[in-house]
Amino acid sequence: RCNHSSNYSSIISSKLIHQLRIEAGMERLKISLTAADLVQYCQEHKRSDPLLTGINTSNPFKDKKSCVLL
Amino acid sequence: MCDQTFMAATFGPCESCGKPSPLMNIYIKNEAINYCSFCVELMACQGLQSGESVASLKRECESLKKKLEEERGKLNDVELHQVADKIEVLGALAIKTRRVLKGHGNKVLCMDWCKDKRRLVSSSQDGKVIVWDGFTLSKENGISVPCTWVMACAYAPTGCAVACGGLDNKCSKAVAMHTNYVSGCTFTNSDNQILTSSGDGSCALWDVESGQLLQSFHGHTADVLSLDLAPSETGNTFVSGGCDKKANVWDMRSGQNIQSFESHVSDINCVKYYPSGDAFASASDDATCRFYDLRADREVAVYQKDSVIFGASTVDFSLSGRLLFAGYNDYTINVWDVLKGTRSSILFGHENRVSRVRVSPDGTALCSASWDHTLRIWA
Repeated sequence: RCNHSSNYSSIISSKLIHQLRIEAGMERLKISLTAADLVQYCQEHKRSDPLLTGINTSNPFKDKKSCVLL
Repeated sequence: MCDQTFMAATFGPCESCGKPSPLMNIYIKNEAINYCSFCVELMACQGLQSGESVASLKRECESLKKKLEEERGKLNDVELHQVADKIEVLGALAIKTRRVLKGHGNKVLCMDWCKDKRRLVSSSQDGKVIVWDGFTLSKENGISVPCTWVMACAYAPTGCAVACGGLDNKCSKAVAMHTNYVSGCTFTNSDNQILTSSGDGSCALWDVESGQLLQSFHGHTADVLSLDLAPSETGNTFVSGGCDKKANVWDMRSGQNIQSFESHVSDINCVKYYPSGDAFASASDDATCRFYDLRADREVAVYQKDSVIFGASTVDFSLSGRLLFAGYNDYTINVWDVLKGTRSSILFGHENRVSRVRVSPDGTALCSASWDHTLRIWA
């Protein structure tokens, strides 16, 4: 009598091994390097981020009646 | 959301018996085969892998997983917030509600901005999809979709079309057919292709005109709840997250799962790329949002607080990537400092769960959709 669940498990395991081998082959970089790039991206774009700076003289969503103190 | 574990399936003719039925996409000795579930059982019965016992396969799985963890650990030479120590602390943010969009008769489940930065589309549990002008609050269009729980809606790049999907397992007039609900949809870089995520555990790429399945993505072991396309400069990949607590990155052309992250302890409700495309964030029922660095292949930040105990349903980045807006089931939106890992601000206003937050294409505003039947625009 065949063992359904054990052969089914072997199918799933084969698939998982195939996937893990692909992932193991990836070239990874150190966080000190990648984090510096993430920080640099933020710094380079911070002046053009309206929600961050709060300054947007032509923002149509903001009420025209209010004053903007610079 | 659901605890069921199952293999992903798509429709088509079985490679064994030829009958069109839901197919299981599996690998035998690196060969991909597509059999219907009956033929898979039959094959399992006949015994397929001589000499390879289940135990030895499991051992190989475990050793590969350990090796992966070791490789990832070697790169953990510094924490993101340490690198961010040298930059200035964020000032107080002057963000508040500028518009309240009323018109839906039930929970608003999804919304998307049009590239023209003023129109938006929203979908609701009552089966209605509404297109709004965000400046004037006028409703430009309203359509009824023949299903409730319209969980996903998206604006086409040209602004000429809207796609939506939900509990009827379809995305817009049967462009996309899944075997379970459609949780998310997005146009790719043209009006002609749609990427969908589904409760059936798969993601799929469709041609809008012919309804043809162009590529399917299998790997999640439970419902996929969200997906996001990488910013166009970085190439043809997308990230998906789901009830199996995993976030997977996929190659759109080959259908291959190229990276996988499993650090959340509950369902992932939403995934969103960082604007440079080198990282992405996730929101989860475990009350945390997390930040994953794709080039280091690991989680680099967890956005959490003891006082934040309700699940996070949605996230989006501000234009520079410095702010992460996250909507929660406690009706609030927390604004996180992505680099330093601290909370910058809380946005109050909604009177029920926040289901979706999206920053406008030019970064001037944030739109939030809620179970309180309204949408809010913040700026």
